[in-house]
Amino acid sequence: MSKRVLSFTLNGDPTEVIVKDNMTLLDLLRDKLGLTGTKKGCEQGECGACTVMLDGKPVNSCCTLAVECEGREVVTIEGIAKGGKLHPIQRQFIEKWALQCGYCTPGMIMSAKALLDVNPHPTELEIREAIEGNLCRCTGYAKIVEAIQAAAAEMNWEEGKA
Amino acid sequence: MNKDCDKHYFKKPEFYRLTGGNNYVRIDAEDKVTGHGKYVGDIMFPDMLTGRMVRSPYAYARIKSIDTSEAEKLPGVKCILTAKDFEWKSKVGNGEFAAEFADKDVLCSDLVKQVGDDIAAVAAIDEETAQRAVDLIKVEYEVLEGVFDPFKAMEDDAPEIQWEGKGIHNIGMKSIMKAGTDIDEEFKNAAYVQHRNYKTHRMVHAAMEPHGAVATYRNGEYTIWMSTQMAYVDQFWYARCLGVPEKCVRVIKPLVGGGFGGKLDSYSFGLCAAKMAELTGRPVRMILTREEVFQTTRNRHPIYMHIDTAFAADGKLLAKKCYHVLDGGPYGGSGVAACAQSTLWANFPYKINSVDFLAHRVYTNNPSSGAMRGYTACQVHYAHDLNMQYAADQLGIDPVEFRKISAADPGYVAPAGLSITSCAYKETLDTAAREIGWYERKGKMKKGEGIGFAGTGFVSGTGFAVLEAPNQSSACVQCRLNKRGMVTLYIGSHDIGQGSDTVMTAIVAEELGLQMSDVKTFMSDTFLTPWDSGSYGSRVTFLAGNAARRAAVDAKRQLFEVIAPMWGVMPTTLECLEGKVISKENAELQMSMADAMFKYMTVKGGDELVGVGSFYHRTDDSQYNGVNTTNYAPAYSFSTGAVHLTLDEETGVLDIDEFVFAHDCGRALNRRAVEGQLEGSIAMGLGYAVYEHNVTKEGKILNPNFRDYRLPTALDMPKMRTFYDFTPDEEGPLGAKEAGEGSAAPVAPAIANAVNMATGIYLTELPLDPEHLWRAMHGLKDDRIPNHMPEDDAERERYMHPDD
Repeated sequence: MSKRVLSFTLNGDPTEVIVKDNMTLLDLLRDKLGLTGTKKGCEQGECGACTVMLDGKPVNSCCTLAVECEGREVVTIEGIAKGGKLHPIQRQFIEKWALQCGYCTPGMIMSAKALLDVNPHPTELEIREAIEGNLCRCTGYAKIVEAIQAAAAEMNWEEGKA
Repeated sequence: MNKDCDKHYFKKPEFYRLTGGNNYVRIDAEDKVTGHGKYVGDIMFPDMLTGRMVRSPYAYARIKSIDTSEAEKLPGVKCILTAKDFEWKSKVGNGEFAAEFADKDVLCSDLVKQVGDDIAAVAAIDEETAQRAVDLIKVEYEVLEGVFDPFKAMEDDAPEIQWEGKGIHNIGMKSIMKAGTDIDEEFKNAAYVQHRNYKTHRMVHAAMEPHGAVATYRNGEYTIWMSTQMAYVDQFWYARCLGVPEKCVRVIKPLVGGGFGGKLDSYSFGLCAAKMAELTGRPVRMILTREEVFQTTRNRHPIYMHIDTAFAADGKLLAKKCYHVLDGGPYGGSGVAACAQSTLWANFPYKINSVDFLAHRVYTNNPSSGAMRGYTACQVHYAHDLNMQYAADQLGIDPVEFRKISAADPGYVAPAGLSITSCAYKETLDTAAREIGWYERKGKMKKGEGIGFAGTGFVSGTGFAVLEAPNQSSACVQCRLNKRGMVTLYIGSHDIGQGSDTVMTAIVAEELGLQMSDVKTFMSDTFLTPWDSGSYGSRVTFLAGNAARRAAVDAKRQLFEVIAPMWGVMPTTLECLEGKVISKENAELQMSMADAMFKYMTVKGGDELVGVGSFYHRTDDSQYNGVNTTNYAPAYSFSTGAVHLTLDEETGVLDIDEFVFAHDCGRALNRRAVEGQLEGSIAMGLGYAVYEHNVTKEGKILNPNFRDYRLPTALDMPKMRTFYDFTPDEEGPLGAKEAGEGSAAPVAPAIANAVNMATGIYLTELPLDPEHLWRAMHGLKDDRIPNHMPEDDAERERYMHPDD
């Protein structure tokens, strides 16, 4: 299998790494770069536990080849807290008990972030549509939806304040 | 210490500051939302190898030869295991008490008994190499004719899947429950009697985290990080199968991404990881693929049920006979207890004069079945509640009123010995009926619209009657206070996502009047934390919660016995509140916990303070008395589910618009945690009822992925409202009972009963997917899984008592 040097931006940092052509972004993040916050649940693009943001859009990193990320920007769950301060979505997930086992949580938060970045005032249906590809076996989704709504309100309030 | 603990020191509810509201968050929440928390697949070592299993493609076959020579030559392959590497020859089972009944080879050398059965293991430098090695291992088989229907498996000419020559007719486990008045008399004198058959389908736990293990071997000791619900039981089996004493096996449970019963068995892959770590001297990581999780871990038992029921003219339940046949697959494991449990649930949640229950768990070559959220409560309550609904309609009684006629009451002792403490079943029925708008909507619904109810009961803190010895069923906790008044808490119980570590921490902080941040909690590590038999049977909050409370109270008592004489008061008049030791009688007497601990250590010659607590359900061995009359648990929980839906008669698609759930969990220790459990139960119950179905053909699961096996998504969920403020349980920790397991049971029967109201059709099977409902509406049988439970008594008798 041929290899190449991949240059991309990872959580804001310029990153260069040698990858095999058949390596997935998920395996690159977890096994090569040690960013294990992105989870492996099915490796078939069905569960959403591996969701990261690629150029601002949520993607299943298990179905994205690492080499597709050349010159692009990848954001993972490790990259959304800023300066030791949790992202509002993270804070609201804690506050609202929007997680139980937590395995779907990083992917769920990334899908939520991708939504709120482009749609600061989503309806409940829009939230549910945005996380439809993220399976959760524990919560029944109610508290997750509530947390995303609360995070949207918090972000809008902070935006207004600024 | 168990129930003899000095309850004088238990904190009274008026001094609770922490539990009961929403004012504390999970202790693992930040780790989970940042991705910093470590699940087993996140544990890495620089020189770690990747393991893969070689598995059988056949459901039943004899292994003629295994040739590993080509794989051995592949560069990067470091270790290949076959059965000969487990020279100790111990089989794997579930539960120390049943070691002699263990029936699973770690690696098969002769017969494979299910698709995916374990044959060999490989460790290599990376996943790609490991998989290539797996592909290079040549196994020759003689394919045998398997048996995939439990009724066929009980026939004389069926292959004997286990215990060949013992004449057990593949009945791996038989459970009887027989108690009460003369049952023949009850049936003879009854005003109304019904005889009905039911059947449930196969589903999987589908925890989001696949099963996995990471193992190291150093200093003659194995350390295994395991996605498990029972680290201590794993330790027992690993030691036994590796042929070493338990002192050489350390099992650590990291964060676990959901269990639901699927991580309640000791699996071969973990053992192989450990053995290959020993043989290579390098850490080995073995994480199952999603397909392996489906096919080779455990499923929920399909159960075939026949129920005979007798009622009085006023609708009172008099007596019940039932016969359950569980499709066990080829192995016992956690599935063995499911058989006895299936008779237990048939009692609940009603009063009854007489019961005569029989259950067979039958070996087949289907995927192995095991524990799954409720053990068998979801299947049994489905059938038995539909059975109640049918009777209600035949007798012309309102479904809510009908269930209330026979509903269990506080203090009721069932003929089978089940001793109910707190019980708010009737209140849950009333709440659900009120909140779903039953009395306003009754009789006014249009065609295709329906409301359904289902009522269920569950154990809270089971001791499993089979685990009669406390050293097999207890939960233990230790609580150490240092001179700063800070606590180090050691708990054996297993948080698999439900939040029990948080609840244990909160209970201890509550009793000691501290903040949760003052309590540092260590959990589930067989070399570090005290014994706990695992997360199953809704044990954790009740047993481990009581153990945590007792550990804290033990520490508190010792502290008060030092402080009280200094103040010239009785120790029992003190309390810990808001970071201080206070006198409940004299507001001037108070000091900080740090000062109190400083004084304690001064008086005690420098000793730190250690409190110990344990709790188990005191039962007896009467499960073995032939009629199985014993009290399975210290308390029982009760639920009513109510659903409103409309059915598209053209397509069979259900539109479920609201689910109301009333659950008697005693006193909620954290409201959001309880709601999360109930909402999650509804989601899983909805999946069971409508969306999920493991389709098998000759033992092979045809849809082992989330594309073809459909879990409910955020868009599928109905509006949910949960109600859970009922009576605190006297024996429960701070009044609590279980909230996350029994709660899954009423969902499917409530949906089926609503469909009945919408269509007039009495459903008897699962799943209620559009195909099934469409066929039901057109009077067609759903022959995807035939139900071979005989309608005819004599024919059924042949299976029930094969040796007569």
